[in-house]
Amino acid sequence: MGGFNKKTSKIVTLLLCFVLMLGVVGCGQSKDDNNPSSPSTSNDATNNDTSNGTSEEEKVTLEVWHLWTTESDGNAVSFNKALDEYRADHPNVTVNIDATENEAYKTKIKTAISANEAPDVFFTWGAGFAQPFVDADKVAKITDYLPDDALANLNMASANNFTYDDGLYGLPFISWVGILYCNQEMFDDVGAKVPDTYDELMTAIEAFNAKGIVPITVGAKDAWNAMFFQNVATIRTAGTDLSTEALKKNESYDQQVFVDGAQMVLDMVEAGAFDPSALGFTYDEAKIALLNGECPMIYQGSWLASEIQNPELSLVSNKVVAKNFPGLTGGEYNKQFLGGAIDGLMVSNTSKNKEVAAEFVAYITERMAKESFLQGAGIPAWTIDSTGETVDPLVQQIVDLASESEGYVVAWDTFLSGADVSTHLDLVQELFAQTITAEEFAKKMQEVNE
Amino acid sequence: MNLREKIKNLKILQYIILIIVAFVQIYPLFWLLTFSLKSNLEIFGKNPLALPKSFMISNYANILVNGNLLTYLFNSVFVTAITIAFSTIISAMAAYAIARMCWKIKEHVLTYFLLGLMIPMQATLLPLFLMMKRTGAYNTPWALILPYTGFALPMAIFIFVGFFRSIPKEMEEAAFIDGASIYQIFRVIMLPLIKPAIATVSIFTFLSCWNELMFAITFISKEQFKTLTVGIMGMVGMYATNWGELGAGLVVAALPTVIIYVFMSSQVEKSFTTGAIKG
Amino acid sequence: MNRVLSNKKTILIFVLPAFVFFSLIIILPILYSGYLSTIEWNGYSEKIFVGLENFKNLFADFPKGFTLGVKNSFLLAILSVFVQIPLSLILALVISKGIKGEGFFRTVYFIPVIISTTVIGQLWLKIYQPKYGVLNYLLAQLGLENLQNSWLASAETALACTFFVIVWQYVGYHMLLLYSSIKSIPKSLLEAAKVDGATNTQIARHITIPLIAPMIKVCVTFALIGSLKTFDLIYVLTKGGPIHSTEVPTTIMYRVLLTENNYGLGSAMAIFIIIECLIFTILIQKGFKAESYTY
Repeated sequence: MGGFNKKTSKIVTLLLCFVLMLGVVGCGQSKDDNNPSSPSTSNDATNNDTSNGTSEEEKVTLEVWHLWTTESDGNAVSFNKALDEYRADHPNVTVNIDATENEAYKTKIKTAISANEAPDVFFTWGAGFAQPFVDADKVAKITDYLPDDALANLNMASANNFTYDDGLYGLPFISWVGILYCNQEMFDDVGAKVPDTYDELMTAIEAFNAKGIVPITVGAKDAWNAMFFQNVATIRTAGTDLSTEALKKNESYDQQVFVDGAQMVLDMVEAGAFDPSALGFTYDEAKIALLNGECPMIYQGSWLASEIQNPELSLVSNKVVAKNFPGLTGGEYNKQFLGGAIDGLMVSNTSKNKEVAAEFVAYITERMAKESFLQGAGIPAWTIDSTGETVDPLVQQIVDLASESEGYVVAWDTFLSGADVSTHLDLVQELFAQTITAEEFAKKMQEVNE
Repeated sequence: MNLREKIKNLKILQYIILIIVAFVQIYPLFWLLTFSLKSNLEIFGKNPLALPKSFMISNYANILVNGNLLTYLFNSVFVTAITIAFSTIISAMAAYAIARMCWKIKEHVLTYFLLGLMIPMQATLLPLFLMMKRTGAYNTPWALILPYTGFALPMAIFIFVGFFRSIPKEMEEAAFIDGASIYQIFRVIMLPLIKPAIATVSIFTFLSCWNELMFAITFISKEQFKTLTVGIMGMVGMYATNWGELGAGLVVAALPTVIIYVFMSSQVEKSFTTGAIKG
Repeated sequence: MNRVLSNKKTILIFVLPAFVFFSLIIILPILYSGYLSTIEWNGYSEKIFVGLENFKNLFADFPKGFTLGVKNSFLLAILSVFVQIPLSLILALVISKGIKGEGFFRTVYFIPVIISTTVIGQLWLKIYQPKYGVLNYLLAQLGLENLQNSWLASAETALACTFFVIVWQYVGYHMLLLYSSIKSIPKSLLEAAKVDGATNTQIARHITIPLIAPMIKVCVTFALIGSLKTFDLIYVLTKGGPIHSTEVPTTIMYRVLLTENNYGLGSAMAIFIIIECLIFTILIQKGFKAESYTY
């Protein structure tokens, strides 16, 4: 048998080594876990004390999940700034951060919540996205755990997307607004006027098309980009109040004003406002067409401003002006905006330290409101003091526009929930593909409400 | 004369076709390399397949300096190595019993294992998440090793059973007569004989673990246990992404794959030429 | 020897680890999915038992096009079996007969399989890109402007474009399986045939292919199952769009389960996919009665 042993395959030995490693390293890892000086845990955790006390003196650990993974995201910068301040102010609280990329985050947070395993504090969108969480009693009503004066600076109107039947369940930090970004230089080149009205927009579209330039860049493959146009067009025809009522299923979509909104999109498609293969472009591809100076217009959220003004990312910094989506002649809803405070933080009902968590949420969101604003990510949802700070001129234009706002509707895909979202996005894409009429669009949207 | 020329021409044509196909197959790697050296403006610019104008080495510098790339890399190696070792051993054992031992329900057991090939991974996400949480495996490397091993088993057993069945009975009989135990036979005779299969199985298991994303994102929340794919996806922002750096990350992730594959593939070759299976 | 090989305890020792593991990690979750498929649940709400209602809903004039998804996956299965596998077989036959650079070709042909789907997807997105993609560029160079298209952006062409990539990516995969099978055929057999004056084609037809029939069966089974549960590339390339034209069962299931949180319906889809794969596998086993050759 000795002969056999000599011939024992190297692979077997290797495999055995792995098995040994499995035991050894496995133990090593779990030791690491409890070792506060472990180098890889700097950002993460010293889990050595998870006692559940809520009094200020006791040590508390908070698990926090969010989706700001890259530094190019203005909110990531402001969150980290706020977090540093919080940590300095609260030496007894250990905050463990887990950041996950946007799309994956949605899956992750939903899975965790349905398994009753949500972290203490988590990022979420308000309105429809968090509706099922609230309905199923998975999130804490934040006002129950906060002192009365904690929300003195909160702009209550922006908190409406976090207000459900019986109270406030989360706190926003920033409002976004939909902006038509126009490259002034390109408009000058073709001799067109930056549009304030829908008619001027149509004239500009014609002027650009005559020069072979695609007038408006849109990444309709990511359906929410296309949706912005239908949503804002419907604001112009139906107004924010009626839109909101329809989204709440209190009003029918099967009305002329909703048909008109869809028809505006169809008219724009027909007039050649977009690239004929817009459905093949992602948000990133569409955005680059503006940043490279290939397309004169994009309709996007206020978050795009900081990227436009960053010379490392854009060739058009300081050449772009911000406009609200053009108004209709004689329209009564011309000063209304697509947008709202939809990003926010919530406290899980399974958290053992709800008071600490709620205070954390208030602390962070209030500071983020200012920092994110200065980063150009949007309009603060809290009253802030920005005297002495320099604000980017494009961001300032957006702030000025928004300060005259007469109403908001948040993007429909965040207001609706579950299957309604995909139905809506599908229908909008069909508008862009011209496979559906405006009447059919309104009828099929109404099926969602029935 | 004529026939010879014809054959020669055919051979040349055959080579031309083979080389064209080879070019098409290898192009993605080359493209990824150029992609990783570009800025966003170039990546989405006029000609996405052009060479980078100014080679942005900074993309690599940034991800190596800023991110926890080395931690991620280590985690991926760790998880993948253990998964391969673990799944290869237990699947080879099961396959041996199924292919060469005599028991009534072995065909049914094989079918039972093969069921696993038909299961879409997405369907097991929520149940597995609950399980990982309950058992405390959540947020440890085991939360990935266990499901990866589970999903690797059916394929591995499938391939091993096929190989074991092709080995003639005489190989074992001789050893039995020499008085070897069944465990010795398995370890000393059978495993070396199925080396090519082990190499094949290892490659497939490696690929599925190394590139897996959904479980890796959902079952690990701690920075120190995150794997490479998750780390790279972390470079995709909500509204802003530096695609060049993402490309650099993908190159770093693809490199071990290519190296290991080339290495393993020569192992496969070796076991063919040394004649592990001659029959 | 037969006594040793039928020792109950030994068999158990060999099979049990894999069996227990597999049952816990794979089968248990699927049983749970089976249970979920009979209820209505959004992940947070009360669970309501609805019996087979979810399965009825799969096909009953469902707006999300599950029927279309199933049809698409069948189409992909047909393409895989009748285009992909023959291609792989030809490549495997050609490079396995000992041409120069055999190792190089074998290694290179497998490369698309080892590169992550994300990269492959991004590359093809750039190739199909309507405005500055390579495909339209080449067509323009060849003077074929009228053949230019928006490829992935158009509901008419998107399906063909995505399927092309899937078929392409896995040619190397099947090629490697077939190649290793061909390589395990004893050289003496092939040499004897050559001495007898058989041509390459004859050898392939009468010796190689029959001998590797079991591996061909394996490839066909993998290709079929793989097609029925294909997901990654479609998700990266089109996410099932534009307007659902490239939808397959798994993309719909993913959306229903993880975006719309309809766990009941999503689980019913999962169970449907499993049963579908099962039926096809059994059909292949029955229909593909390859005798096992010994050599």
